[in-house]
Amino acid sequence: MKIITKSEKETYNFAREFAMQLAGGETICMVGDLGSGKTAFSKGLASGLGVDKIITSPTFVLMKNYEAKNGSIDKFAHIDAYRLSDANDLEAIGATDYINDDNCITAIEWADRVRDIWPKDCIEIDFKHLDGDQREINIKK
Amino acid sequence: MIILAIESSCDETSASVIKEDSGVLDIASNIVSSQIDIHKKYGGVVPEVAARHHVKNIIPVISEAMEEAGITKDDIDLIAVTSGPGLITSLIVGVESAKSLGVAWGIPVLQVNHMYAHLAANFLNNDIKFPAIALVVSGGHTELILINGHDNFKKIGQTLDDAAGEAFDKVGKMLGLEYPGGPIISKRALEGDSARFSLPRPMIGSGDYNFSFSGLKTAVLYKLKEIDILNEQDVNDMCASFQQAAVDVLVKKTIKAAQSVGAKTIFMAGGVAANKKLREDLSVSAKDSSFEFFVPEFKYCTDNAAMIGIAAYHLLKEKMPDLDNWKNIKADPGWELE
Repeated sequence: MKIITKSEKETYNFAREFAMQLAGGETICMVGDLGSGKTAFSKGLASGLGVDKIITSPTFVLMKNYEAKNGSIDKFAHIDAYRLSDANDLEAIGATDYINDDNCITAIEWADRVRDIWPKDCIEIDFKHLDGDQREINIKK
Repeated sequence: MIILAIESSCDETSASVIKEDSGVLDIASNIVSSQIDIHKKYGGVVPEVAARHHVKNIIPVISEAMEEAGITKDDIDLIAVTSGPGLITSLIVGVESAKSLGVAWGIPVLQVNHMYAHLAANFLNNDIKFPAIALVVSGGHTELILINGHDNFKKIGQTLDDAAGEAFDKVGKMLGLEYPGGPIISKRALEGDSARFSLPRPMIGSGDYNFSFSGLKTAVLYKLKEIDILNEQDVNDMCASFQQAAVDVLVKKTIKAAQSVGAKTIFMAGGVAANKKLREDLSVSAKDSSFEFFVPEFKYCTDNAAMIGIAAYHLLKEKMPDLDNWKNIKADPGWELE
């Protein structure tokens, strides 16, 4: 499924709706350049999962974990692979525990840098920066 | 009282000995073993690599700190250690080393919050008038903290996305500069024209105490797309323009927060507090608005164990923490100041 959003707010709202359709245990692998909408999407995702804390960039610490409240989903793991070249470092900080948890939604930004860690049934989302504030969001299952 | 302090939350392994005599603190040693050169090629700290180097460095660094201070284990009254926030694999090395030494030497261990310690670096023999507003800026944090006493603080604002230091690193990467971006951007900005590129000042008039740097980073990206081939002067000008935009927001919001809460003092902490332009601009604005202004010496802005020792001293003095259960201390990567 491919959609085009016209603002950061639209990307956020779309992700929020998207989050509400998740069952638990999904890993969302986001691929796209700096400024292509991944952070806005992650924030919307968290909001849709009932996370009430402010979602700040996990680039520095690689992974931030939040409490979620949406049916059986009680955790949101926000991972950023921007600085990494392979998945070993994510394993070292325990990322696979969250990826394999049925009550957790895991979102990975810059996921193309850590393909080794992608589970078989992950949801890949590609982000593209079009003209101005427009972004193309392509969801591949 | 003599405190041995240990810090290993990110990529610096550090140990320090603090000697206290009648309320006056003396930093008898502050050894920092940096891994910056090791992590340069990754564009940031790699947890697994960092942890391995901490394991290798921590005992030599502690020995050196004790030797330089001219003390033995029998002189130490307390071991202070950072237990969060930070990278879990790095924190564990410091915390477990501190506990092992505590058991072996029969000395209690006090856990210290890394961000509180950055703030406490300002307490070093300064008579701070409260309330104070502290701007905490680093690679992982951008926060405004209201401080009513040496151990009484409350977060009143924060970044809603990227930390200021992270924005410097990411813009540095876009410009093809070396990691970490902060010091290089600061240096290149000296040769640049800060008015060349018009960049936004995100959330400067938002009415709250929060920040946003993600949009500023994107704005830099848009401007760079307009230029075909970037020459050295373009890079310098972008460094100056970006730095000024980031500094303007940080300074304006800090002054406004201080005015709103009726603060007497403003201070700054964290790695980005080493940025010269930010130090100058905030210092001038604070003085213009009649606030007292403090910023730690450069060597106590970046991660170091002396600040952990200073923080431990103030926690002991003001808060009288429970020192019975220290064997249960665990590294806590998500330990945020509330």
